[in-house]
Amino acid sequence: MALLEVNGLVKHFVVERSLFGRARAHVKAVDGVSFSLDAGKTLALVGESGCGKSTVSRLVLRLIEPDAGTVRFGSRDLLSLDADALRKFRREAQIIFQDPYASLNPRMTVAQILTEPLALHDLVPPAQRRERVAEILRLVGLEPRLARRYPHEFSGGQRQRIAIARALAVEPKLIICDEPVSALDVSIRSQILNLLRELQDRLGLAYIFVSHDLAVVKHIADRVAVMNLGGIVEEADADELFAQPRHPYSRALLSAIPLPQPHAKRAKVVLQGEIPSALDPPSGCRFHTRCPFVIDRCRTEAPALVTDDAGHATACHRVSELPPADTILPAAAGFSPALAKLVAAFSRKTEGANPAGVGIQSARPTTT
Amino acid sequence: MSPLIEIRDLRIRFHGDDGRITHAVDSVDLSVANGATLGLVGESGCGKSVTSLAIMGLLPKQTTEVTGAIRFDGFDLLKAADQTLRDLRGNRLAMIFQEPMTSLNPSFTIGDQIIETILRHRGGSRKSARERAIDLLRRVHIPSPERRIDEYPHKLSGGMRQRVMIAMALACDPQLLIADEPTTALDVTLQAQILELMRELKAASGAAIILITHDLGVVAEVCDEVAVMYAGEIVERAPVDELFSAPQHPYTVGLLGSIPRLDQRAEQLATIEGMVPNMAQPPAGCRFAARCPFVLEACTRAPPPLVDVSPGHVSRCIRAPLEILVS
Repeated sequence: MALLEVNGLVKHFVVERSLFGRARAHVKAVDGVSFSLDAGKTLALVGESGCGKSTVSRLVLRLIEPDAGTVRFGSRDLLSLDADALRKFRREAQIIFQDPYASLNPRMTVAQILTEPLALHDLVPPAQRRERVAEILRLVGLEPRLARRYPHEFSGGQRQRIAIARALAVEPKLIICDEPVSALDVSIRSQILNLLRELQDRLGLAYIFVSHDLAVVKHIADRVAVMNLGGIVEEADADELFAQPRHPYSRALLSAIPLPQPHAKRAKVVLQGEIPSALDPPSGCRFHTRCPFVIDRCRTEAPALVTDDAGHATACHRVSELPPADTILPAAAGFSPALAKLVAAFSRKTEGANPAGVGIQSARPTTT
Repeated sequence: MSPLIEIRDLRIRFHGDDGRITHAVDSVDLSVANGATLGLVGESGCGKSVTSLAIMGLLPKQTTEVTGAIRFDGFDLLKAADQTLRDLRGNRLAMIFQEPMTSLNPSFTIGDQIIETILRHRGGSRKSARERAIDLLRRVHIPSPERRIDEYPHKLSGGMRQRVMIAMALACDPQLLIADEPTTALDVTLQAQILELMRELKAASGAAIILITHDLGVVAEVCDEVAVMYAGEIVERAPVDELFSAPQHPYTVGLLGSIPRLDQRAEQLATIEGMVPNMAQPPAGCRFAARCPFVLEACTRAPPPLVDVSPGHVSRCIRAPLEILVS
């Protein structure tokens, strides 16, 4: 049975009211989104700014209330839970935010940040909480002695580790990762991605991984849902989606990612025009204003998300007529032989060294 | 052919309020030829943006000490009078910043802001400047530029604003364009549009470009040559193909190994352990030594020089060429 089942989720935000308080304009942030997630797996939600991916992640936790739809977590219907039951549910589902500079309270020490969830859910008797905090810190690759420090004394990568530790403190089954590495430098990004995967293997966590970066998603996801303007346009297993993207929007996203491979041979789909506003989404298929394969039907009739036998779902009228995606896919070139050897040597040598990021830098953050 | 811009032994020190001196940039040598694109790569705090601000003469004089030489077309920019710099900036030297939201003045129309640049450097009538501004907006693919020119920045989306910034930078056909993370704040599909535009403009105008970025994918797509910076120094400089196929500095290897790639799936990404050194007290030897898996005792004793590995390819590592270490 699926751990999480989301059905027909809708959220419209009111952006303008009349003098008498009647809603005059809505942003259709999420408009009929359904998916399910198994325990221990990772579902990635990808799309551009404003596509509704972050709103979905907040709806799933009921941090904001949906206008319609259902969310089932195990055997519970989340939307019918009262405040008490909701708090119990939050023990099982946690969230990590994008910006570790904003998501940690600057007036609390790391120990206080990590003790709070333990006390709130009364998980560990007071006498043992210190020991438990030390244990959690070790789990995310930080030294327990750092518990007495304040967030400003840590670098961005270390702060994200603390945010992960806070989420882990209550031993959740599901963690929502909302762009957890977007604010981090490349070398730090890989540490956090490795850590998330390691924790998943060890603790059997399920992730909803919200990201705009398909290369990162390819690295971490089991299943991928591509969102555009409030709706899912394609959903498939990660390997399948990256090998055979179907929806023109997924293809455009894939082809837009610059490859770290000079003179890579692939055709580019450069979308023309701007991302339409969610305030006034296009009629019919919401991608039709930018779609290179648009026909008249797309302008009037919204395509349904149709799942084939293999579990690959696409919302496109022309899915059977589209040319193969081979030309836009990157050749599986990867590292040159020399580089592959060097990277392997680099990784081998650093293994067994100090766990990542254990040291502490001086109080001066290294930002430009 | 002599380079358009040549930086020799550039050093930048910041004097803090508490008397602490931060070595932001140390002995940087760079040159860019006409029509070439140089990528300046590195992580936060490595000195890449500070280097570009030094070229533009935009660092605060009271707290910054800049030494060395930046020769641009016969001028030494570090010794040039303020008036000379003002004549060069926006004219023959232009810059695009990362944040299109904050680098446009919200209380003037985009037309006013482009026209101001043209009138300042080229003179002529306001009417002809306006025509040129419309033409520039058309060149950066802004739809119906005749109408858009009278709009305020807040009416435009992020991608549009970045196009306006580019149009403004191109207003006087600069010989050198510095682009500091020009696409970092944009969505991938918009990033692809802007990168395409930059390639197009480079081909049309023949300007030299210095592209500052942390994204190695962007570098691979647009640059001819790459300089990798770490803790204020250039640690490797190479033609783009060579940097990606046979990097010669361990830091570059770590960076290349740590990015998730679309063209392969690694079980485990490489990581660079440890921290960037505190630049108020830079280490005596190689600045990467504390994080380097190939470190020798000699590395920590004296700062390594930049050595030639192959024509046009230099590395600040005493263990280069690195192939020997793995064969």
